Amino acid sequence: MTSPRERILASIRDGLLRAHLPADADGPPRHAAGESAAPTVADMPDQFSAALTALSGHVHRASGAAGVADVIAGIARAHQAASCISWDDEHLGCAGLLGVLSSRGLARVTYDVSGEPGQRAVDVDALAGVGLGLTGAHAALAETGGLVLVSGPGRGRLASLLPPVHVAVVAERRLRPSLSALLREEPDLLDAGSNVVIVAGPSRTADIEMTLTHGVHGPKHLHVILTA
Amino acid sequence: MTDAALAFHRRIDTALADAGLRRALTLTTGRLASGRTGAFGGLADAEACRQEARLARASAVARLDSYLDRFASAAAARGSTVHWAETAADARRIITGIANDRGIRLAVKSKSMATEEVELNEALEHAGVRVVETDLGEFVVQLGGDRPSHIITPIIHLTRQDVAALFREKLGAAPEEVADIPAMTALARRVLRAEFLRAGMGISGVNLAVAETGSICVVTNEGNGRLTTTLPRVHVALLGLERIVPTAADLASVLTVLARSATGQASSVYTNVITGPRRRGGGRGGPEAGDPDGPEELHIVILDNGRSRLLGTPLSEILYCVRCGACLNVCPVYRLIGGHAYGGVYPGPVGSVVMPGLHGVEGWSELAHASSLCGACRDACPVKIDLPHLLLAVRREAAARQLAPLWIRAAMPVYAAVVTRPWLYRWVGRAAARLARVVQHEGWIRRLPGPLGAWTASRDFPIPAARSFVEEHQARKAAAR
Repeated sequence: MTSPRERILASIRDGLLRAHLPADADGPPRHAAGESAAPTVADMPDQFSAALTALSGHVHRASGAAGVADVIAGIARAHQAASCISWDDEHLGCAGLLGVLSSRGLARVTYDVSGEPGQRAVDVDALAGVGLGLTGAHAALAETGGLVLVSGPGRGRLASLLPPVHVAVVAERRLRPSLSALLREEPDLLDAGSNVVIVAGPSRTADIEMTLTHGVHGPKHLHVILTA
Repeated sequence: MTDAALAFHRRIDTALADAGLRRALTLTTGRLASGRTGAFGGLADAEACRQEARLARASAVARLDSYLDRFASAAAARGSTVHWAETAADARRIITGIANDRGIRLAVKSKSMATEEVELNEALEHAGVRVVETDLGEFVVQLGGDRPSHIITPIIHLTRQDVAALFREKLGAAPEEVADIPAMTALARRVLRAEFLRAGMGISGVNLAVAETGSICVVTNEGNGRLTTTLPRVHVALLGLERIVPTAADLASVLTVLARSATGQASSVYTNVITGPRRRGGGRGGPEAGDPDGPEELHIVILDNGRSRLLGTPLSEILYCVRCGACLNVCPVYRLIGGHAYGGVYPGPVGSVVMPGLHGVEGWSELAHASSLCGACRDACPVKIDLPHLLLAVRREAAARQLAPLWIRAAMPVYAAVVTRPWLYRWVGRAAARLARVVQHEGWIRRLPGPLGAWTASRDFPIPAARSFVEEHQARKAAAR
């Protein structure tokens, strides 16, 4: 008695013997096509800002924990957010930021979602009303305005997903031309966490009459604070 | 005509008679197609990007047994549970089993064509699991007991007024909650967020799977794909077995063309790569060393359902497809009749190959005839699938199985005998032209007698010119001398 795995793989091998696959596609993959469009290092902050702004994201520039906290406090005020869920300080790329924010009245709600079904519902319910999510980023992509977020300890997925406002603090040195360039530099990146997500702009839909609308499931507002 | 052909023609008549649908199709497909052109315009060498994406898919399909095996081992090594479903029924049994074993009563779903293909929702509901579609378009489809009409934008056949009426009837929405599209979107967010927070299972499809790391990639613009794969305790992903790329670099190659082709975006809003379930800290000491969120279990169900058999047919190139929908938007037939008329889960040029490919030409070969073989689909395809060639292969297969009506099978050898003999061709042409002028009505031939009536049922001919091309050519040559 063979397993379904063995039967399916055998059926594929059998199919491949008779497959009509075009000869032009029978070569090793190359990964260089997007390259000539790659920006120079000096252009990347501007290109990133232009790409993200075109997607209805907002780009700020600030330096130091106090400067970054000013920007975040302003965003929180504008959206009447009293609390935030956040990555740990060490992953925000801005030493002491959470302390400064707390002293300005933006409380951090910490969490560790339970694996037990009943408790899990209680845990996520407690996060449902939080007004702002705060993250750093592993990298930012100049070509598309995308933020590369890698999950892990102190770097939860929900901070960039659940609240209506997502603020990311990103150092300029984390900018890369494109996803292809980033993966060339770090070929094992996909394995770095259980979740690697590239966020390019606020949540959007055009399902009804092709009319662009933001904030259908993910955050309606995305702010990126670029630090030197 | 066969029953399937008659039913297809009836669906086409229904679609063509729907003026609202025609307007919506023109608007949507036009915008998507021009968005695609614009997005590719932003690439320095769009053609090289398409070829690179094609190679990424082709290299995986050419050694699919080894890459799929490697994917399954890599996924299992990172804590995913891998299941193998030979048929749609297997997939339904596996997934309902996962739900029932854990006492799960509510599942949220992010948009997935594969789950529609195996009719998963009906099976789960039957097993006592409520299923909520969370893509805005699919949510509307589900509320209305409707079917999606486009792979990417499921409700192009509905107006905002249709959606408002549905929300008022099914959700009890107040007038101000359906006043405009942003209000309706906000209402859907509220209703669906409550479901996300309660659901015990999240079900997604897979856009692409990476063999080397056992990762699955799910792209969405709304963010429902992320919520589906993050909040519920159990995540189940249904993966069509051909959707593999060898490496992360190959994934990037395909992503470069995928969103551009689907919606005209350089990148989807959320490109979500998942490698195993939530990672727990190493020691038993505490949660601080592990992921604070994410699903406890990740089940990847690898679906065959006719794909491995398709691989051994002349249609095998269709397995490169990444389901972007670009071929729908440029197809002159799809743009007139829309997705419902095709009758299957996958419409348009891709559906006209995939449906007979997965389910056999009997009952589905008619779709391949609803094409002028103009080649627009091939030019739009991000992985350069030669769709006209595959549509002809479906027709050839149908002919070989004698699925065409008897009179066509009888007429074709006669036609071949005529057109390969110039003297006979000229003689028959003159006779036919004379006959045409007898049966014409106001300059058009709208109905021919006998079996030829099947030809004119969907075509009007202008009457032939007084002189044939050859006669005209010879006359001009003579005059010039």
